[in-house]
Amino acid sequence: MTNDEFDKFLDSALKRTQAPQEGDDAVNRVLKRLAGPLPRQKQSVWRLPTVLLDWQFAPAWPRMAALAGCLAVGFAIGLSGFDRGMQSGTSRGAGNIDIGGLVFEPETVTGGRP
Amino acid sequence: MDDSDEALMAKVARGDERAFRELSRRHVPAMLGLARRILGNATDAEDVAQEAMLRVWTHAPRWQPLAALRTWLSRVVVNLCLDRKRKTTWVDLDAVGEIPDPAPLAGESAEASERERLLAAAIAELPGRQRAAIVLSYTEGMSNAQVAEVLDTTVSAVETLLVRGKQNLRRALTDVIDGE
Repeated sequence: MTNDEFDKFLDSALKRTQAPQEGDDAVNRVLKRLAGPLPRQKQSVWRLPTVLLDWQFAPAWPRMAALAGCLAVGFAIGLSGFDRGMQSGTSRGAGNIDIGGLVFEPETVTGGRP
Repeated sequence: MDDSDEALMAKVARGDERAFRELSRRHVPAMLGLARRILGNATDAEDVAQEAMLRVWTHAPRWQPLAALRTWLSRVVVNLCLDRKRKTTWVDLDAVGEIPDPAPLAGESAEASERERLLAAAIAELPGRQRAAIVLSYTEGMSNAQVAEVLDTTVSAVETLLVRGKQNLRRALTDVIDGE
């Protein structure tokens, strides 16, 4: 068999093994597996500037209103002194005791200071 | 409506699952055929075709239309097949089964069928890149330049792979050829 004949034999033999067509069981199986939930896509870093340029900086008005409301309520509470009354009613805890006097108390015998 | 591969890829890049399903319907049969011919194993070929399409989905936002989608997809399939072949152990030539052949001429003569079985077995024994070059060139009908693009090499390297592949096939099929 010459090289050309071998080429023709190879060509015809390989082409007879045709690719599966749409509707083939194997194709359907693969398509069915691909129909499930898909993984997360990998985003390109080069797209970031485009995303930033496309960003709409229009404020979301309901959120702005909620923020301004919270600000006003906080300001009113601060001015009325409502929180001061609550603070005075609390018991004195260990954290409020001034221990500076104990630490810097002069030595009873020598009168020396630390 | 533009439903070219490139247009669908642009939609897939934006996370459009319907465009991805359309692209899958379009390319899975060919990719499955290519994987089957390189691997000689239908089950592994299904896994490779699925993996290749999932890579299309995950890498779509990074995809640059420098080459045709089909060429890029073929490259993914070939690389996945070669990786898989590298990981698996070689099987005995007799253990290589017959590749399913839906063509009507398949059962025409027992001699031709036997010859094709031997050819499939001989192709399965070729080194990975030679096998890929032979399959892409003869079965997929790609030009040497396209094969070079898929295998990420030069045209002259593809020519060398084809020559060596054919020499190896000839050597493996000497008995069949001499019997003619």
